[in-house]
Amino acid sequence: MLFSFNDIDYSIGTDRVLKSPLSGGLNAGEVLVVRGASGSGKSTLLRVLSRLQAGIGGEAFLEDVSWSMISGPLWRADVHYLAQKAALFDGTVAQNLAKPFEARITGGRRVFDSARARELMDQLLLDENMWDRDARTLSGGEASRLAFVRSLLVEPRVLLLDEPTAALDEKSREAFYVVLSRWIVQNSRGALLVSHNEDYNRLSGSIHFLDLENRRGGL
Amino acid sequence: MENNTIPISNLQLAFSVLLVLITGGISSFLKLGLLKSLVWGTVRTFVQLTLVGYALTYIFQINSPALIALIVTVMCYIASRTASGRTPNVPGYPMAMSFAALLASTYIVGLIVTVLIISPQPWYSPRIVIPIFGMILGNSMNGIAISLDRLYGEARSRSAEIEAMLTFGATPWEAARSSVREAVRAGMIPTINSLMVVGLVSLPGMMTGQILGGADPREAVRYQIVVMLMIATAVAIGCLMLVGFSYRKLFNGDGSLQPFVLQSRK
Repeated sequence: MLFSFNDIDYSIGTDRVLKSPLSGGLNAGEVLVVRGASGSGKSTLLRVLSRLQAGIGGEAFLEDVSWSMISGPLWRADVHYLAQKAALFDGTVAQNLAKPFEARITGGRRVFDSARARELMDQLLLDENMWDRDARTLSGGEASRLAFVRSLLVEPRVLLLDEPTAALDEKSREAFYVVLSRWIVQNSRGALLVSHNEDYNRLSGSIHFLDLENRRGGL
Repeated sequence: MENNTIPISNLQLAFSVLLVLITGGISSFLKLGLLKSLVWGTVRTFVQLTLVGYALTYIFQINSPALIALIVTVMCYIASRTASGRTPNVPGYPMAMSFAALLASTYIVGLIVTVLIISPQPWYSPRIVIPIFGMILGNSMNGIAISLDRLYGEARSRSAEIEAMLTFGATPWEAARSSVREAVRAGMIPTINSLMVVGLVSLPGMMTGQILGGADPREAVRYQIVVMLMIATAVAIGCLMLVGFSYRKLFNGDGSLQPFVLQSRK
């Protein structure tokens, strides 16, 4: 298996969120869609799985290697979390795309490929002239697509996407799913996708589901 | 050195209380609610400084390096308590770290100044060492308090960017680097500013004191130059050390952000 997790449990503050611990997994080329009501802990699950915050139990595996065998930074680069609200840095669009390569782990694996960046931006309907624009002036939809391009460029093994299309209009949603499906299949990657709506039907390829049940009841 | 100081008699000192009456009058007229603090502050000023006057006389007579080192260390301790107590962004900050930063920066710079630059005989003359170390400490205390506060403030307001860098495999240092830089800069700015305007806008307290004490202004100025430069250095070292110790506390052992950075300020 490309990525799997067993008995993952976590809390928000002192509140335990889950009715029972979660397990799941995906093979290369597959997407696991995480469903559940607001407040059921979907985002927290992704954050815990990418080790941005500590859970209270469970274990995850990347290609059958336990996360206890892999350092935090290395794990986070491979099991990469993309936040719902795009976090952009000070500087231009181009500087934002190149910024991840300042981290030694990412920069040591590959160099920033601006041709590939422009190609992805084009596929996501981002204007070519945007390259030198101040990233802080982008609209919500532009910012979230830019952040998506930035994440694809570092080529993680597994992408953890937290409502990636929330800020997108119909046309760019379409483009988003085309790019994501192609990226997963062509590069034998995987993705966990948190989604409120049923947009994920636009994904081509194999999809599985994980439904979160809240402790407070309801699905 | 001849002593040209005009002594202040007890009666004259008592007259200075008239000034407090003016301040108190303003406070009660405008109902500022400061009267109690003012009275208490005045009493403390009298008591603390009188005691320090006697203590210094005693220390100057004893002239023992061990005693001086002890006194400077106690001063560092008090300063670090103040520095970590007055940083609203950093509740419960461990005092040990600010103590270590102040101790190191004060001793490094203080020893350079007393041993190499002023070189009194003996080099540990308390008449030189205690005021010099005290001035270094007073300034680096403010510097480190500002940079500590800024470090945590920056981390809070930039937590999304810091986390974004973490998701690209950044180490805590790589992710927090720009906040660290801002924090050290913020701590050093007041000192750098004072280097710019010294003598033009403000006559520094030490120089004023020497001149009042009857020293040749040209001599006082030379001392002041040394003091200004040593303060700048001590502030830089202190801020750098403290921020260097502290940024790691924003992260947990796994290298991700501590929950308190992502939550509202308490």
